[in-house]
Amino acid sequence: MWPEYLFPSPSGVFRSLGEGIKDGSLLLAAAVSMQRVITGFLISLAGGILLGVALVRIRFLEECFGPLLLGLQTLPSICWLPLAVLWFGMGEKAILFVVAAGSLFSIAISFVSGVKNISPLYRWVAKTMGASGWQMFTTVIFPAALPSFVAGMKQGWSFAWRALLAGELLSPQSGLGYVLVMGRDLHDMNLVVAVMVVIILLGLAVEKLFFARVEASLRSRWGLDRA
Amino acid sequence: MLVLEGVYKYFSSSGTDRLVLENINLRVKSGEFVCLVGPSGCGKSTLLSIIAGLEKADRGRVYKDGKEITAAGPDRVVMFQEAALFPWLKVIENVEYGLKIAGIPKEVRREKALRYLKMVHLSRFADSYPHQLSGGMRQRVALARALAVDSDVLLMDEPFAALDAQTRYLLHRQLQEIWQVTGKTIVFVTHSVEEAVLLADRVVVMAANPGRIKKQFAIQLSRPRHLKNVDLAFLAGEILRELEEEVAKVARAEYDGEWSPEEDVFLPAPNSNMGDGI
Ligand SMILES: Nc1ncnc2c1ncn2[C@@H]1O[C@H](COP(=O)(O)OP(=O)(O)OP(=O)(O)O)[C@@H](O)[C@H]1O
Ligand SMILES: [Mg+2]
Repeated sequence: MWPEYLFPSPSGVFRSLGEGIKDGSLLLAAAVSMQRVITGFLISLAGGILLGVALVRIRFLEECFGPLLLGLQTLPSICWLPLAVLWFGMGEKAILFVVAAGSLFSIAISFVSGVKNISPLYRWVAKTMGASGWQMFTTVIFPAALPSFVAGMKQGWSFAWRALLAGELLSPQSGLGYVLVMGRDLHDMNLVVAVMVVIILLGLAVEKLFFARVEASLRSRWGLDRA
Repeated sequence: MLVLEGVYKYFSSSGTDRLVLENINLRVKSGEFVCLVGPSGCGKSTLLSIIAGLEKADRGRVYKDGKEITAAGPDRVVMFQEAALFPWLKVIENVEYGLKIAGIPKEVRREKALRYLKMVHLSRFADSYPHQLSGGMRQRVALARALAVDSDVLLMDEPFAALDAQTRYLLHRQLQEIWQVTGKTIVFVTHSVEEAVLLADRVVVMAANPGRIKKQFAIQLSRPRHLKNVDLAFLAGEILRELEEEVAKVARAEYDGEWSPEEDVFLPAPNSNMGDGI
């Protein structure tokens, strides 16, 4: 009815998926993409926590850069691409930069808001027991902010995942984004949709198997799930 | 020795400053057990926070052993009105917290924490998380946590209000024992005049709006005390009279003009259908 190159059929997509898995090309692309997104995410996690700690501890920074951060978070990650290419050239580093930049600010913001929502009572208890400075941070502020921070990390992960695809689409050497571009160039819509399926499945898997579990175990430990 | 000299405290709510504590002068000797009673909202918790160094007095000074109090510290542990246990730590770890901050090695602090946990009859729950405990049990863990630190001064904000009579009785005995052995200075807030006369060397009655010290009663009776004791009952009656006068004042001030018993005292039940079907 319609030409195959405009509208893929379910059977065609399955065929593409099967072929890609059998010859390993899709699996390899997924592995490369996963490795990139995890690396980028870990970088943004470290950077986001550092930035968050700085913002929380130095009020001046928060007042100056708090609103800016909010703006940067809403910036679509693809906007970082020109800068990335300028600084790092077309390549692996540029992609990692885009991924990290895409999730860094949402992680920092969730850290700061997690800390702000801590009941002052916890801090008071710790203070009267003699905790201060770094000890206060590690024994009260960080653990108390953890549940809301994990929720922020989950959001950061989805930002990182989107940023990765943006990066891979524009400077493709390998990975799922590269296969996507290839599918477009070959007018192989079945392949394009097959890649989309893989992207959705991987994103969901990490969210459900990792973040959702961490969150659930935290919530049950805290007793937040009791009706 | 704790000394409060001319302490004033304001809280600003919606732009206007409200006087919460007015000219509080109080001396608590080392090893003394002082109970604060007063109508709800008169500033008892605020006063405790000022002694703890968590809130700053807007005027006046607070000293401990001659040194001005400027910040919170482990020599003045507070047991708050809410248990405020850390939900991310097990019960035993909560009790150990102050010892851990003090840098006491793991085995030593575990043993000490267990001892206090036994004292509040909760050693079976050492490995539970706070949310698995009842309100009264949580309050007992908070007591163990506060006692484990061995501070010179213990500030307690209605610590036993949520407990049943039997447990409260047991903990009264234990608190007195610890107090006598350690010679701690204790400032204890309570709503119960009976509790105050049972425990205290001195009962301070506060008045509200603004919060101030109205009258003080020395309780020079031998321990252990019993409520049935005639002298004790007499003193309790005296204190209760002072207190009720203040409570009544607060009630009158609050109800004046905005609450008329005749109209509002009847709250219709949500499922009442009186006369609906006529
Ligand atoms: N952080 C705050 N900001 C503004 N007002 C406050 C604050 N904390 C307390 N207040 C006010 O100060 C007054 C005294 O509060 P406080 O908690 O000390 O009373 P209390 O005597 O402990 O009462 P209760 O017996 O009910 O515990 C109250 O009227 C309260 O509204
Ligand atoms: Mg109070």
